[in-house]
Amino acid sequence: MSNEAHSPYLPIPMHVLHAYYESNDRSLKTLELSFDDPQDAREFFAAYNPGQFCLLSVIGKGESALGIASAAWEGDFVRFTVQKMGSVTTALHELKPGDPIGIRGPLGNGFPLEDWKGKNLVIIGGGCAFSTLYALTKHLHHPSNRGDYGKMTVIYGTRTSGLCMYKQDIAAWHQRDDMEVHQAIDVPEQDWLHHVGYVPDVVREVQPSPVNSVAVVCGPPIMTKFTLPALVELGFTPETIFTSLEKRMKCGVGKCGRCNLGPKYICKDGPVFSLAELNNLPADL
Amino acid sequence: MNLILKKDQLNHQLNAWRQDYEVHAPQSLENYTHFLPLQDEFELALDKAHNTRIPPKALFLPTSEALLKFTRVGGYEQVPTETAPRLIFGIRPCDAHAMTMLDTVFEQERYTDPHWQARHDATLLVGLGCHEPCQTGFCTTVGSGPFNHAGLDAILTDLGEIFLVETLTEKGERLFSQLETATEEQSTQASELQQAAAASMPIAFEKEGLKEKLDQNFDSPYWEEVSRSCLGCGVCTFLCPTCFCFDIVDEAQRGERVRNWDTCMFRTYSLEASGHNPRPSRVERTRQRLSHKYTYWVDQINQIGCTGCGRCVRYCPVGLDIRAMLRKAQQLPSEVAHV
Repeated sequence: MSNEAHSPYLPIPMHVLHAYYESNDRSLKTLELSFDDPQDAREFFAAYNPGQFCLLSVIGKGESALGIASAAWEGDFVRFTVQKMGSVTTALHELKPGDPIGIRGPLGNGFPLEDWKGKNLVIIGGGCAFSTLYALTKHLHHPSNRGDYGKMTVIYGTRTSGLCMYKQDIAAWHQRDDMEVHQAIDVPEQDWLHHVGYVPDVVREVQPSPVNSVAVVCGPPIMTKFTLPALVELGFTPETIFTSLEKRMKCGVGKCGRCNLGPKYICKDGPVFSLAELNNLPADL
Repeated sequence: MNLILKKDQLNHQLNAWRQDYEVHAPQSLENYTHFLPLQDEFELALDKAHNTRIPPKALFLPTSEALLKFTRVGGYEQVPTETAPRLIFGIRPCDAHAMTMLDTVFEQERYTDPHWQARHDATLLVGLGCHEPCQTGFCTTVGSGPFNHAGLDAILTDLGEIFLVETLTEKGERLFSQLETATEEQSTQASELQQAAAASMPIAFEKEGLKEKLDQNFDSPYWEEVSRSCLGCGVCTFLCPTCFCFDIVDEAQRGERVRNWDTCMFRTYSLEASGHNPRPSRVERTRQRLSHKYTYWVDQINQIGCTGCGRCVRYCPVGLDIRAMLRKAQQLPSEVAHV
C-alpha cells in the first residue's frame, strides 16, 4: 500500500474467471470474477454479507451496480448476473475469461442474518433480482449456517422458464429435504411442472406461515408492490418483511446524492430495508 | 484574540502569505466575482457583490475532477490527492458554514473522500463578515448569520480604515501572529456592528414546524404550484454552497474516470436503466431539492442544509424565491396527507 489514503472510488483489480449466459434469450449473463491479489480476496470475504452489492467497472465505459450472487464458501470468486440494458452492461456482456475488470465493494448493509437466527425464512424473488436471494440461499445451505435457521421456503417467479436463472442448482433444490421450493412462470408452457401465475398470487397460494418467520422480497418494483400487501394479508408484520431496493447509483458510498430515499441512502443505509422502515420514508421510488 | 489589520497593509500581508500558501481571494472576472488564486498583480473585489457567484465549495469539490487515470488496457490508478497549502481569504460566513455541513458528507468514518479531505486539511479559511448584509441573503433565518464563526479559522470585520481580526483556531492565530492587538474600543465597535448587521436582516420565513409541514405534505398539490415556473436549469443547485451531488463518467479519450457536478433538478439524474424515473417531472425534482435542504439534512445532522446565502434567489432565471416557497409551505395543512 502507498501512503495515499485509500479511495472508496478505486476499484479492486480482478479478472473474469467464467462468463456464461443465464437465460435462453441471452439477456442475462453470469460473470464469475477472481481477485488479482489474494489479500484483496481475504478483505472482501471478511467484509461480505449476503444481500450486498458491488459496482462493476469496465474501464473506459463506466460502472454498474449489481447484487452479489455468490456465497463466500463457494470459493475465492464473486458471481454477478448482468442484465444487458445500457452501454456498461453491454460491455460487461462482451467480457471473456481472463479479461480485466474492477469492482468496488462489498457495499451496503446486506440481509440482517444475525437478527433472523432461529426464524423460518420465506425467500421470494422475481426475475433477475433473485441474484442476491440466490446468494442468501447458498449461504444458508452451508452446514455451518443451516442449523441457525428454521424452515426455508423459496418462491421464485420469472416471466418464462427460459428466464429462470441458476437452473441446475434450483432443480437440485427441489430434491432437498431441508427446504421447500416453489417456481412460477407468468404464462403456461408445455411440460412446466410448477406454478403458473404472478408471484403475489403464488405467495397467496403457498400461504407461508407468519409464525416465527421473516419474509424477504426482491423483484421488479411492480412485483414488490403487490407482494408486500399479500404478506401483510397472511399476517406478516412490517417488522418481519424485508426488501432490497434499487435506484440509480454512481458512488455507492453515500456521497454522490442520487439514491436517496428521504434522509437514507440506498447504497449506504440499504439496500435492504424492512417494511417498517420503508413505511417511515417518503414514497420516492 | 482581537487584532488589527490595516487596509493599506492588506496587499502586503496577502503577498507575504503567498510565500507559504496558494492564496485565493475574490476577484472580478467578466461580470462576476470569483475566488481566484492571487498572482503578482491582483485587484481584490471585496466590496462588490457580497458573494462570489460560484461558491468556494468549488475549491474543495471542483466542477470536474479526475478520480482515476487509465494506465493501459483495463488498468487504472488513483489520481494523487496531495494539495499544496492554501489560504482562502474573504470567504463569507454562509459559505464557510456550508463547508462544515459538506464535511459530514465527505468525511465519514467508513468512507472518507480522500480528494475532499486532502483539500480540507491543506486549507485555511479567513472569513469576511457581512457588515452590510445582502438583499437576497437570509442567513439569520436558518441559524447562520453575517458574522457566523462556523468553519472559519479567523473572521474579519470591516471598520473602515482597518479590519478587526478575530482568530478562531490555532491555525488562524499563527496566521495573524504579527499583527497588533485591537483596542477595547475597536472590539466594542466591531461587536456593535456585527449585532446591528444581524438585526437588520428580516426573518424571511418561520423555521419552526417547517420540517413537519414538508414531511406531511409529500403528496400535496403544493409541489406542482411552486415548481410551475421552474425551467429545470439547475442553477439553484450548482450555485448552492451545500449542494454536493456529482456524476461519475469515464472519459475514454482522455483516459480518465471523472466526477462532475450534477443536479437533482435534471431528469437524467435519477433516470434508471429500465426507463423508470422516480422523479419524472420538475414537481418531484423541486420537492427533492427543498426536502433535502429542509427535512433530510435535519434528519441527518439536525441542521437545516441551507445557510441562507441567497444565490438560488439571486440567480434563478425565472425569479423563483425559496423564501416565498417556504412561506407558502407554512400555510399548508398540518394533518397527514395520506393515512
